[in-house]
Amino acid sequence: MSIEVSGVTKRFGEFVALDDVNLSIPTGELTALLGPSGGGKSTLLRIIAGLESADRGTIMIEGADATRVPARHRNVGFVFQHYAVFKHMTVARNVAFGLQIRAKPAVPFSTTWREDRARINHRVEELLDLVHLSQFAQRLPSQLSGGQRQRMALARALAVEPKVLLLDEPFGALDAKVRKELRDWLRRLHDEVHVTTVFVTHDQEEALEVADRIVVINDGRIEQIGSPDQLYDEPANDFVMGFLGEVTELGGVRLRPHDIDVAVSPGVHGSVPGVISRVLRVGFEVRVTVVPDPVIGAAPAPEVNVVMSRAHQRSLGLAEGAKVWLSPAPEAARARLAAVR
Amino acid sequence: MADTATPVRAPSVARPPTPDTSARGFGGRVRSRVSTLTLGSGLGLGAAMIWFSLLVLLPLAAVVATAAAGGWKAYLSVLTDSQTLAAITLTVGQAGLVTLVNVVMGTVIAWVLVRDRFWGRAVLNVIIDVPFALPTVVAGLVLLTLYGPTSPMGLDFAFTRMAVWLALAFVTLPFVVRAVQPVLEELDTDVEEAAASLGASPATIIGRIILPALAPAITTGAALSFARAISEYGSLVLLSGNRPFQTEVVSVRVLAFIENGNNAGAATVASAMLAVALVVIIALDLLQRMVARRG
Amino acid sequence: MVRTSAPVRWLLRVLAIGYLLFLVALPLMMLFGDTFADGLSTLGSILSDPDVISGFRLTIIVALWAVVINLFFGVTISILLVRYEFPGKRALSALVDLPLSVSPVVVGLALVLVYNGRTGWFGPFLEDHGLQVIFNSPGMIMATTFVALPLVIREVVPTLTEIGEDQEQAARSLGAGPLQTLWRITLPSIKWAVVYGVVLSLARSVGEFGAVKVVSGNVTGSTQTATLVVESKYEGFAQPEAYGVAFLLVMVSIACLIVVAVVRPRENEPRRNKR
Repeated sequence: MSIEVSGVTKRFGEFVALDDVNLSIPTGELTALLGPSGGGKSTLLRIIAGLESADRGTIMIEGADATRVPARHRNVGFVFQHYAVFKHMTVARNVAFGLQIRAKPAVPFSTTWREDRARINHRVEELLDLVHLSQFAQRLPSQLSGGQRQRMALARALAVEPKVLLLDEPFGALDAKVRKELRDWLRRLHDEVHVTTVFVTHDQEEALEVADRIVVINDGRIEQIGSPDQLYDEPANDFVMGFLGEVTELGGVRLRPHDIDVAVSPGVHGSVPGVISRVLRVGFEVRVTVVPDPVIGAAPAPEVNVVMSRAHQRSLGLAEGAKVWLSPAPEAARARLAAVR
Repeated sequence: MADTATPVRAPSVARPPTPDTSARGFGGRVRSRVSTLTLGSGLGLGAAMIWFSLLVLLPLAAVVATAAAGGWKAYLSVLTDSQTLAAITLTVGQAGLVTLVNVVMGTVIAWVLVRDRFWGRAVLNVIIDVPFALPTVVAGLVLLTLYGPTSPMGLDFAFTRMAVWLALAFVTLPFVVRAVQPVLEELDTDVEEAAASLGASPATIIGRIILPALAPAITTGAALSFARAISEYGSLVLLSGNRPFQTEVVSVRVLAFIENGNNAGAATVASAMLAVALVVIIALDLLQRMVARRG
Repeated sequence: MVRTSAPVRWLLRVLAIGYLLFLVALPLMMLFGDTFADGLSTLGSILSDPDVISGFRLTIIVALWAVVINLFFGVTISILLVRYEFPGKRALSALVDLPLSVSPVVVGLALVLVYNGRTGWFGPFLEDHGLQVIFNSPGMIMATTFVALPLVIREVVPTLTEIGEDQEQAARSLGAGPLQTLWRITLPSIKWAVVYGVVLSLARSVGEFGAVKVVSGNVTGSTQTATLVVESKYEGFAQPEAYGVAFLLVMVSIACLIVVAVVRPRENEPRRNKR
C-alpha cells in the first residue's frame, strides 16, 4: 500500500470536513476521490499532501508515518486546480524549481555546479518532452493556455520524482473539450509513468473514464470504494447509485433508466402497466417517459424514465399515448437489490 | 481496507456535479481562529511589534498620558481656551467644507477620468497625484505664487480663511478621486444597460444605480480627506499666516504650545486630534467590512 | 453604459479640468516661472549656498534611512497580516493606517515626549548611553519613518491577497523551505508593489515637514532638511531662493510620479490577464 489514511478527522469550526476516514491506496494505481462539492475530498487530498493538518488520525506514505512531516519533506507531487504556476518564471524554470531546491549548494561555476545544472537541464527537457511543451520552454506561463499551464504544473510536480502524485480538481478550470483531451492524456501518461496517483473530481464521468479505482466521498465520509464497474453496477447505497448516473423509480425500486425492459403486451409477471407521455430523441438514444397506471387505493406512482436505443424504440413502435408494460432487466438485479436494502 | 458499507439513509436525490469551489474554500481560505504562526514568523511578528511600539504606539500613548496627567479639569480648560476653541472651530469648519467640495469635485473628476475620452486625459490623471507627491510646505509655496501678494490675477488670499481652504483643498484633492476611480472602473456596465433597457433615463441610472454603488468609495475618500484636513500643517505655514482667531488651525496651535514649552497643553489638543483620527480609522474599518460582506 | 448628453459631458469636463487647472497646474507653472525669472542665476546661487547643500544632504540621509526601514518592516508586516492568523491581527491591521491620519505636528510631539533628553520616557536613558534622539538625525529619521509607515504596507497587502497562497503551497510541496519560498516565490511576485510602495515612501519622506520641524530643533546648516530650508528662506525674505529649493523638491516629486506611472501598468498586468 502506498498511502494509508487511518482515522482522519478534520473540522473547520463547526463544519466537519472529514469524519474518521480510513483509506488505503495501492501502489501504482490511479485512484479518483469522487464526490459532491464540500464533501471533504479536497481536504483529504490536502491532508495527504501535508498542506493541511488533520485534527486526529495518521497518514502513512510508503510505510513511513508522515502525519507530522511538513509538506516539503513528504516528497509528494501536488497539482492545483488553478495551476499555481510561478508567474515570474519561464516554463523551464518552473519545472526546474523542485530540482534546484534539492540541489546541494555549490560554488557558482565550479564543477559540481556545472554538473548539477546540466543534470537539471536534461531532466527538464525530458519532462517538457513528456508533457509536449518543449517548444514553450522559454515562455512565461501567462503566454500559455489553461491546458498547457496545467500540463506544465504536472511536469513540475513530476520533476522531483514524487512517491505519490496528487491532483486537486486538475481539469476543473478548463473548458469541456480541453478537459476531455487532458483526461485521455492523463490516463496515457499514468500508463507510461506508473506513479501512484490520486486525483479529486466532482465529475463522475471523469472518474469512471480515467481511474483504476474510485473512492466516493460525501459529507466527510467514504461511501464506497471500488473499480468503476463495481461502483456503477453494484452501488453500495442510494447515494453512490444516484451520484454515478441517472436513476429512476419503478415499482418502489430505484434503478438505472437503461435497465428497464419495455414490452407492448403484458408478458412478464409483475410488470408495471403505463402510458407513454413523452418521447425525446437525444442523438443515438431515446428517452421515454411513462406514467404508470393508477392503482386504486395507492398513492400515484412517480413517472418512470426509460432510456433505449433508437433502433429498439423503432422496432417496438413506441410513440406518445402508447400503452406499455415495464419490468426491471434481469442484469439490473444487483443494483436494484442494493438499492432496496 | 476501509469498510465500504455505510448505514442506509433516506433516499437522496443525486446532486448534480457542480464546480467544487466550496470544498477548496474550506481547505484554503477559512482558517481556524487560533494563531498559525511558525517559529520564524513569530520572531518576525515580535520584532515588528517592538519596532511598531517604539515608533508609534508608545509615543502616541505618551501624548495621551501627558494630556491626562493634569486631570479632567485642566484638560477641559485647555480645550475651551478661547484661542484653542477658535482654532478647533476653524479647522473643523474648513475641513468639513473642503470635504464637501471634494465629495462633489472628486466624484466629477473620477467620472471624467473613467467615462470621458479626450486628449490630455492622461495628464489630468497624473496631476491628481501631484498633491500626494509634493512636499506640503512646497504646496503652500506653490499656491502662494497664484493666490499670494504677487498674484498675476490680483487674487491675494494670503493670510485669509480662503487661503486655509485652498491649502486644504490642494492636499486632500486625491482622496475621493482615487477612492472612486477604481470602483467606477470595475462597475458592471451590464447593470446600467439592463436599467436602460427597462426604460430608466440616464439621470435615474446615475441616481439609483451608479451613485449607490459608489457611495462606500465616496465615504471612504471623504473620511480620509476629512482626517487629513484636520491634521494638515505644512501647506498652511507660509500661506495662512497663522493669525490667532483668524487663520490659526489646530496643528499650528499645537506647535505654538510646543514652542512655548507647554508640552501638556500641546498633548491635550493633540490627544483630541488623535481621537478624531482613531474614530475615522475605526469607521473606515467597519465600512470596509460592511462592503466586503455585501460583496 | 450611461451616455451623457454632449452639454453635460462638456460641463463635467470643463468643471474637472478647470478645478485641477486652478488648484494644481497653474500654481505649479507659476512656481517654474518664478524660479527661472532671472534665468538660471537663482538655481546657481542656491546650489552654492552651504545651508541649501546641507539641507539636501540631510534630506537624502533621512529619507533613505526611513525608506529602508519601512521597506523591511513594511514587507514583514504585510506578509504577517495576509498569510498568518494571530491574536490582535485586526487591531494591528487598523493601527498601521493610523500614521496617515495623525497630524505631523502630533507625530513630532509624540516622539519628543518619549525621546527628549530631559523629561522623555526613554530619552534620558538613551542620552546617558550616548544616543541623542531629539534635535538630532535619529529623531528626524523616526519622525519620517512614522509618517511614511503605511505606504509600503498599503501597496503590498492587496497584491499579496490577490496572488493567493497557491504558488507558495506549490513551492512547499516541491520541497522549498520557508526562506526559499519567501525568496524565490513570494518576494518576486510582489516585486512591483514593493517598488511602488518604496517610491511613494521616498516622495513622502523627502517632503516631510511638520514632524521633522518639531523633532529637529530646526537649526540652520545642521538639523534643517530641504523642506525646512524652504520655510526659513521664505520667512527670511529670500523668496527667490525659497522658490529655487521648492523647484528642486518639485522635480524630485515629479520624478517619483513618473516612476510610479511607469511601474503601475506592469503591476496591473496579471490582473488584466486574469479577467
